[in-house]
Parts: sequence; structure tokens; C-alpha cells
Amino acid sequence: MKKTVDVSLPIGPMHPLFKEPCRIKCETRGEFVLSAEVELGYVKKGIERIMRGRPWQEVMFLAERVCGICSVVHNYVFIEAVENVSGIAPTERAAYLRVIVNELDRMQSHLLANYSYCYTIEHETLAMYLLNLRETVMDQLELITGARVTCAFIIPGGVRCDLSADGAASLRTALDHIDSELSRFVRIFETGPLIGLRSKGVGLLTKEAAIEAHAAGPTARASGIPDDLRNIHPTYRLLDFKPVIRYEGDNYARIMVRFEEVFQSTGLIRTALALMKEGPIRGGGTIKAGTVRYRGEAPRGELLYDLTTDEHGRILEIAIQTPSIMNIQVCAHAMLKNAQSAADITAIFISSDPCIACTER
Amino acid sequence: MSLLQSLKNSIRSRSIHVAYVNVGSCNGCDIELLACLSPRYDIEQYGIYVHNNPREADVLLITGAFSPQWEDKLKPLWDKIPNPKVAVAIGNCPISGCVFNRPETLVDPPVSKHIPIAAEIPGCPPRPTEIISTILSLAPLIFKDYEETNR
Repeated sequence: MKKTVDVSLPIGPMHPLFKEPCRIKCETRGEFVLSAEVELGYVKKGIERIMRGRPWQEVMFLAERVCGICSVVHNYVFIEAVENVSGIAPTERAAYLRVIVNELDRMQSHLLANYSYCYTIEHETLAMYLLNLRETVMDQLELITGARVTCAFIIPGGVRCDLSADGAASLRTALDHIDSELSRFVRIFETGPLIGLRSKGVGLLTKEAAIEAHAAGPTARASGIPDDLRNIHPTYRLLDFKPVIRYEGDNYARIMVRFEEVFQSTGLIRTALALMKEGPIRGGGTIKAGTVRYRGEAPRGELLYDLTTDEHGRILEIAIQTPSIMNIQVCAHAMLKNAQSAADITAIFISSDPCIACTER
Repeated sequence: MSLLQSLKNSIRSRSIHVAYVNVGSCNGCDIELLACLSPRYDIEQYGIYVHNNPREADVLLITGAFSPQWEDKLKPLWDKIPNPKVAVAIGNCPISGCVFNRPETLVDPPVSKHIPIAAEIPGCPPRPTEIISTILSLAPLIFKDYEETNR
């Protein structure tokens, strides 16, 4: 390649701001970023290779460990895919409990993503506030499921444990606390002049580029694509779900979409708690042979499980498609290109909420 | 024990610099590490600082089940850390490989094959409190009287 640039700037694989190892290779002229490329492969474990030929009881725990941040949604989508093959439907109470746990998981994931962004632009105060608020969500998740991160809550035909009246009351108190605290933090984020300088107009992603690169999740919704798979989910339809959309397409919009989705999640949980009736939480059923492609909305976008089972309940073939790979590529090829300053590279990268463990599996 | 050594011991027990490296984890342990930073657990009150820079670290926290990419990278990273140093394995993955240590896998646990591990925190993932208490009980033990015993 002809040398057309001043500096080739490598960032990573170990970097103070990255939770996970990955390498961004940038070509810069002065501070101006001409092009960027993301190099992956540092946490490749071969989960799909391990899953093949194993009973669903084992694959369920492996699916959860594809990603630790959004572990509930991997559990959710895998179990719903298996249910889809076998014609099992969850009981009504279990369907609402699944939504509650999934939305709590989405809240903690979004708060963590926004923490990372605030930490990257060196607003440590707001970052620590958000991280502390996340602990409130983690407490509720632990109260309902019994574990903080990998909880294996959702099983075919239902969920593992019930939510008591005391649990529901404590969940409502926590939701009120989150709403009042987070609206304060969002006001700090909206009105902070330095946050605005680092966020507004930085890392622009146009709607055309987002469609071309198949961006997913909050990254796409911040560029004006009304794409959310919760729209077509049967339980979410009962809860009157509407996706959050913004049209700016910059770092600020992506962070604000996540903040608004946290408020939306608290609303969805409240509606689910109100609609939920007493009843059984496990329906039971037998896993049958079949093939299915099943999609669900992860905190980062569309998650797809493509699997084949046999009559003994073994997973013969499985392919997982996670949203982060599209977001990382759209980040490298559209957002990072023409970034005005090298200091913005990490901020832009973190604002797309990359999850390397999901991507490489 | 000389006066200088006892001074060093007392200062070192309240000044522990930490770097973390993910050698193929699922992120679960990494976010529990991040949760340690939150004001609820507040690791800085114990004098633990997370810089994630190996050149100024005392403690290296390792998560993950050793993916092949790190074969030639973890040892140089360990060598960059100045003495006295200690490595702590977090979670089941660096200890045994957890659910990933199965036929057809790409990972190569345990991490102790590659660098010396001083302590292991089992759990999938361990709680933030367990991580903090391990660092606090281990680091002063390793760094105590370092100059006098390694003259």
C-alpha cells in the first residue's frame, strides 16, 4: 500500500478504556482520522463448535455464556427458539416474568454502556453515578433470579422461580428510585456544555450509511431507523411497546436513545407487573426435532439463533448472529472516518456499545 | 527489619495498582470487576487503583479461558510488570476453562500453564466483594518485606 498518511495509530488490544481486548488501527493525518479498521479475534472460544451435538440442557448454559453483559437475552432467545421448534408456549405469568427480567437486563446493559461512554469522555462523576445506579438494577435482578450475571432464569415452558408479593413491592420501589435518579443524571448529560462539545456532531452516522451497513439496535435507532424486534414479540405487543427513535445520528443521540430506553424499560416492567395474574410459572413440554431461525431484540440489536434439534433434544446444528459485529463494522467504516480528533476515536467506538465477547464467541 | 522496609510495607499495603486482562472471557467477570469501581464497593477506599497499564501495575487480574491469540502476548505482558508483582485468576475460566473446556474447543486452560498464578477466585462470575477481599488479603502478603527477602 502506498504511504499516504502521517501516522498509523494502533489502539489496543489492552487499553484503559476497553472492557475487552480489540485493536483499532487508524490512519491519521495530523489529528484527522482518514480511515480505521477493527481487528478482532482476541477472545475467540468456539462456543458454536462446543454446542454442536450436545443436549439443550447444556447448550442453554453455553448460550448464556456467549456474552456476560446481556446474558439474559441469549437465554431468552435460545429458549424461545427451542420452544418454537417444539410447539411449547410459556404460561401467562411466566411470559410476563420473562419480560421483567429481560428489561432489567437491558437496563443494566444500557447503564453500563453509558457509564463506559461518560468514563471515556472523562466525565467521571456522571460515570460513577450511573455505575452506582446500575447496582440498584443488579440487586433487583439478583432478588428475582438468584444471581447477578449468569442466572439461567428462563427454561422451556416457563421460568425457574416466581416473583413474590414482597419482591414485586421492592421492584416497584427500585423502579421509582431509578426513574427519579436517572432523570437527574439525564439532565446533567443534556445540559453539560463539555459533554455537548465531546458528543454533539461527533461520530456522525447517516441513515443511508446505517441502512447500507445493517446497523442494529440503539446505533440504528439513533440514526432514524425504527427497527426494534420487540415490535413483533407477542408479549411486548400486550404491553403497548413503541420504539425510541432519534434522528441526529451522533454520539449524543446514541447515548440519549439508551437513556430513554431505560425509562421505557421501567415503564414496561410496571405495565407487566400490573397485568400479571397469579398462576403457574412452569408449563412443561418435550423438545422435538426441527429447524428454526428465531430472532429477538438484544440490548445491542437483533440477535438471531439458527438451530436444528433432533428428537432426543440434542442441538445438531447451531449458528448465532449477534448485533455487535454490524455495529463494530459500521463504527469503523462510517463513524470513525473523518473524525476530527484522535481523542474522539475511543469515544466514538465506545458510543456504539461494542461487545467483543458477543461478536467472537 | 529496617525502618525503610517497614515504611515500604505500610505504604504498599495501601497502594495497590491493578491492571486487568481479558484472555477470552464471556465478559461476565469483567463487568463484575467494573462493578468494584462503583461507589457502593468503592475499591479506592482500600488504596486499590485501576489503571490498566501493565508498566505501573502490582496486581494483574486475569479473566477468561486463554484463547489462542494470547499465546504469544500474555507472557510479554506479564514481563512488562515491574517486580514485586502478583497475578490473580478471576472466575472459573482461568482455573479450569469452565463450560468452555470441552472437546472441539479453541481455548487452552488453565492460565497457570503460561504465567504463575498466586491466587484463584472461583465463581461464574465471583461477586465484586470476593474480588476485593482477595486482592486485599493477598497483595500485602506478597509485597511484605520484598526488598529484604529478595536482596
